[in-house]
Amino acid sequence: MRECPDGIALLVIAREVLRKELLPLLPGDKAYAALMVANAMGIAERQLRNGEGPQREEQQALADLLGTEGTLAELNREFAARIRRGDFDNDAEARRVLWESTVQRVRESAPKALAAYSPSAARHVLV
Amino acid sequence: MREEQRTALEHFLAARAGANEVRIHEARLLSGGAIQENWSLSATVTGGRHEGVLECVLRSDAPSAVAVSHSRAQEFALLQVAFRAGVTVPEPLWLGDASVFGRDFFVMRKAKGTASGYRLVKEPGLGGDREALTERLGEELARLHAIRPPVDGLSFLRTPTLPPALQCVKDSREFLDGHRAAFPALEWGLRWLEQHAPATPALVLTHRDFRTGNYMVDETGLTAVLDWEFAAWSDPLEDLGWFCARCWRFGQFDKEAGGIGSREALFRGYERVSGRRPEREAVSYWEVLAHVRWAVIALQQGERHVSGQEPSLELALTAHVVPELELEVLRMTGGRHA
Repeated sequence: MRECPDGIALLVIAREVLRKELLPLLPGDKAYAALMVANAMGIAERQLRNGEGPQREEQQALADLLGTEGTLAELNREFAARIRRGDFDNDAEARRVLWESTVQRVRESAPKALAAYSPSAARHVLV
Repeated sequence: MREEQRTALEHFLAARAGANEVRIHEARLLSGGAIQENWSLSATVTGGRHEGVLECVLRSDAPSAVAVSHSRAQEFALLQVAFRAGVTVPEPLWLGDASVFGRDFFVMRKAKGTASGYRLVKEPGLGGDREALTERLGEELARLHAIRPPVDGLSFLRTPTLPPALQCVKDSREFLDGHRAAFPALEWGLRWLEQHAPATPALVLTHRDFRTGNYMVDETGLTAVLDWEFAAWSDPLEDLGWFCARCWRFGQFDKEAGGIGSREALFRGYERVSGRRPEREAVSYWEVLAHVRWAVIALQQGERHVSGQEPSLELALTAHVVPELELEVLRMTGGRHA
């Protein structure tokens, strides 16, 4: 069995030390690098927290939409090709799937950006 | 900078400046620039028409560069053309090659102030009156857009066979086809761009990276427009759309022109010099294109890290701006489902 605290908890506390204790002491030209480190740790933490669940949901939604099976990468490739061909012009269900999967990726990569969009999207933001 | 580079550079500068001697007393590597390496040089020139202290910037290729960007020689030619057209750019001085510095480079006069977008949106005193600065940037664009093909020295610029908007769609699709992963939301945007592409009546010289972060200001106002490596013959509205695009407002979303001023001020300045009033709706097409194009560039930058070619936290994080760009593309093209 793995030790506690786990990877998520370690990232959370390590990030706090970086931001609260180290960042204020850094010279101006290194502060940006420290903020980048904090940002990268945040993304890693949110991905760990989410696990593979959202990826599986996206895969299922795509399989349903496209009426075919495949890995997530294959389904995305197929979806992209069909959007390009115009198969999904004005298709509300395709737009919904696209919006949901993109919101999910923003939740992991840049959750603060969601605040400007829908309240329902922002509600799930992990800060 | 290594000692032999400095010595070779001193001889190069002396020859080009027609000086008896040039002594570099400060050479400082400037931060920023994922594609190029910039050195701030302070030199004492003895003899010739540059006699005295010369403050300049040496711009050379970084170890690896994005395929679509111009060479230093081409960027130097672009600076010369823009300088002669009255655009506020650092005065291009001399072009040098790898035999002097190990990599191709050019030397330009140093502009005062800062280019940092984050500083600009945080420090209201920078850049002087902001509406005046915004208007001035509109004027600069109009001056640039007065340049029409063909121009001596710019024959390396590809003349698009398709209307510029469709050319961008085609180039982006070609990149995505060769990429590891598919990006359906970008495809959605590209499909929309294809279906709504405007005709471009006349090609002009465009900067194609004209945004906050790529011009310098001091306390009084604009001192230089920088980073000409993406310049091309295109639709003039491409530059206006890039400047106004939400992704280039550095968090100041209500200041629609580059996060620093009003769209109205930008358009006013543009109209004063060009005689043409940009139409908001026509510009918004190019704002969609800006998000798609920036997402593609971000993927390319991220790939430099992912491929192992150039490990860099900055490049790695650039790949993570793609989702929020895609979300904005979906919103702008009616793909929102809240």
